Amino acid sequence: MNRLQIPIESTTLPNGLRVVIAPDTAAPVVTLGVYYKIGFRLEPRGRSGFAHLFEHMMFQGSANAPKMQHIKLINSSGGTLNGSTHYDVTNYYEAVPSNALARVLWLEADRMRALKVDDENLRNQRDVVKEEVRVNVLNQPYGGFPWLDLPPVAFRNWANSHNFYGDFADLDAASLADVQTFFKTYYVPNNAVLLILGDVKPGEGCTLARELFSDIPSGPSPLFADPTEPKQTEERRGEVEEKFGTLPAMAVGYVAPKRRTADWCAMALLDQALHGGRAGKLYRELVLEKQLAVELDGGIEDVFGYNGPTQMVTRILHKPEFSGEATLAEFNKVIREIQEKGISEDELRQLKVKWQSDYYSLLEGGHGGMPRYGLMHLLACFTLFDGEPQLVNSILDGFLAVKREEIQAAAKKYLRNENRAIVFRKPVTAGAKEAA
Amino acid sequence: MATRAAEVNTIVPALSAERPVTWPKRTRAKLSNGLEVILAESHTIPKFHGELFFRSGNAAAIDRGPGLAEMTAAVLRTGTAKRASRQIEEDLRRIGADLASSAGADNSAISFAGLSELAEPLLGLVNELARDAVFPEAEFERERRQKLEEVKLERTQPGFLASERLRKVLFGAHPYAQVSPSEEQVASFERGDLLEVYRDFYTPENALLLLVGDFHPDSMLKAVENIFGMWTGKMPERKSAAAPAQPRGRRVHLVHVPGAVQTQILAGCHAITRKHPDWVKLGLTNSLYGGAFNSRLVMNIREDKGYTYSPRSSVNAFRQHGYFSISAAVRNDVVAASLTEIFYELDKLRSLAIPESELADAQNYLSGVFSLGLATQNGLLSQLAVVALNELPEDYLETYRAKVRALRPEDVVDTARKYFDSANMQIVAVGDRSQIESQAALFGGVETYDAQGRKLS
Repeated sequence: MNRLQIPIESTTLPNGLRVVIAPDTAAPVVTLGVYYKIGFRLEPRGRSGFAHLFEHMMFQGSANAPKMQHIKLINSSGGTLNGSTHYDVTNYYEAVPSNALARVLWLEADRMRALKVDDENLRNQRDVVKEEVRVNVLNQPYGGFPWLDLPPVAFRNWANSHNFYGDFADLDAASLADVQTFFKTYYVPNNAVLLILGDVKPGEGCTLARELFSDIPSGPSPLFADPTEPKQTEERRGEVEEKFGTLPAMAVGYVAPKRRTADWCAMALLDQALHGGRAGKLYRELVLEKQLAVELDGGIEDVFGYNGPTQMVTRILHKPEFSGEATLAEFNKVIREIQEKGISEDELRQLKVKWQSDYYSLLEGGHGGMPRYGLMHLLACFTLFDGEPQLVNSILDGFLAVKREEIQAAAKKYLRNENRAIVFRKPVTAGAKEAA
Repeated sequence: MATRAAEVNTIVPALSAERPVTWPKRTRAKLSNGLEVILAESHTIPKFHGELFFRSGNAAAIDRGPGLAEMTAAVLRTGTAKRASRQIEEDLRRIGADLASSAGADNSAISFAGLSELAEPLLGLVNELARDAVFPEAEFERERRQKLEEVKLERTQPGFLASERLRKVLFGAHPYAQVSPSEEQVASFERGDLLEVYRDFYTPENALLLLVGDFHPDSMLKAVENIFGMWTGKMPERKSAAAPAQPRGRRVHLVHVPGAVQTQILAGCHAITRKHPDWVKLGLTNSLYGGAFNSRLVMNIREDKGYTYSPRSSVNAFRQHGYFSISAAVRNDVVAASLTEIFYELDKLRSLAIPESELADAQNYLSGVFSLGLATQNGLLSQLAVVALNELPEDYLETYRAKVRALRPEDVVDTARKYFDSANMQIVAVGDRSQIESQAALFGGVETYDAQGRKLS
């Protein structure tokens, strides 16, 4: 099969900022990103939700671009922008016509150099974030399910188990001093990577990066808390009340292997065998054949971009006439079957073709109209975690080499009850009472 | 094309010369069976994206039941004369493809993406679904039972409740008023209804096939002719519905959700279709008002006041009508304050000339983001689809940016006066009545409904 090769140039500035450029001049559009190696997993204790609140503060004013200037300058250059906070990284990105390249780089350098925000900005964004939490979690059926429900049940280390969107009391307690400390600690050039993808000449990109970012002083390498989990030896269960939704729901999460270990590729294909769309074993059995479930999806979230304890999660909304235990029993049958029989050679071939095809779409990835978001994300994670952006061109090899026996072995090793956590979401609304 | 300078800090790097935006050549054909085909190359990845549209959707099936076209699309993929459901899903995976079938108000569609070197088997399956779907009884029953749970579930989502109520208020007896079927309507669907919709809508004379991706257009067109050439079927009869009247007088439509910790505001009024000569003007005016991050509404109620996370306004176009809407999910205690600012910004745009620099910013924004569509196969596909489905001029993509940049400040004021009908704006508020009713009542007479759509007062 044809293999896609992405041309990549990378360099490191004297202050430690890594620069990765992937030129493609087909369209006059450039995607830029700055990734910092800090996410909500390792935010300060007592400050749940802080990494995300901080991400909002990065749009509130920097050394030479006061509040509203940053957004105005990107939009009025014909571009779109956003940022997002993940477990282990936080990103800021823009897609613009390529004639705005120097301007956008200048803006990113300006906010890497110094954040210029005040109490008023912090109050304002604290309010905005609370409405974000309400619209996505507190006022939505199945809000935060299961990404906020599972961690406190599944994990014991605060880093992995706390409320990543933030308790409102913690958000209220966050101060301007916290903002500046967090910035000085983690937002140093030696803890970041700059990405320029699309309509840029490698030389031009490097020169601009050097001109605009070189004088930003590096800082001490940040010290990261240890996210290691104590070994799990028992199945863990929890229950959460569903305030609005009519259907009972459950999520089952199995701890996944560390990224880029020998088991990682097999586990990813096992995940696809179980969760890969309507051909996936779980959807086929629980939704199409047994017809217990109304919605079923899942997988290892951001399989290329996690850097700490992570689960492969199945999310199920099921019909009220089936109990949670009955639904779980059917789920368990699918798991047991793949442990006992593995998958066929034909199925493995299918999974590999689909994996490769999905990988290409991921790289091209429009994400909210942002071309090459996926390529940017992978280049950033491969740089920050592995020091090897070129992995985007070779990472597929490991997945395409997985053997049937390895998938079965992964199923036996990871899909054990004492390696999983289950959360039940129980509706409180009348007329949706779960059958006993 | 010249970019007008915006007022910016002098140390901010200037924009360099723009590279020309070149839209790929489109290859058009009409097969002898009436199927319209549009192909465009895009070599970003060794894949292609496609969509087979049928120019009939839920509105055209409204007499037989709201949501019937959507139900037909859902069951479509569950069996053909040659393949059972499980086979279809495995075959898709075997060729690394994704496929979805769905229906909106005006169109039904099978959309798909796959590897270029396996294009023929994917197109073969699409052709089979379009011609030889058999709607197995058991699959229909399963989908229907699933749909029953889904329609109950959607009534717990504030966003759904808001748009359902607004569409009812704005479109009245017109088919566009119906967003989704009721439980009773889903229960009454029969397999025969689906077969009838399928026979009528899914014909080559009613269809448009769009393909964008890493292929050579000549050989792709040959493949399309071979695969789809033998399919036959007539254009369905078009029924027209009486034009809905814009409701007069500002009113509040409150959807009561006990215990809601936030209020979903959605306000709207009639607007225009994409074919209307004012479309570009209204797009620009909307962008200045609340269509972009850097817009007046977002800067006011988010960045200045912190009432909401994601306020936005948009112009929503169907084939026959359109509407303008403003949405914001706000803290319960600032419903009145938010509505005050929403109307303040509407009326300000209707009353006062906008500064040249603000206009230039919005023009650059709209013309810039328009060209981002060039960079992905899917982005390009959706732009080509808008042009073809709305029968816009063939040079629409090539001339859009110049049209945006030709607009003047007076165009914006005129357009706001014409379409931002603040006196007759219909306001939907989804939230807990006890917390928001007195605030909402400041903006017009209040009618209250429950989440099931029953009138409470």
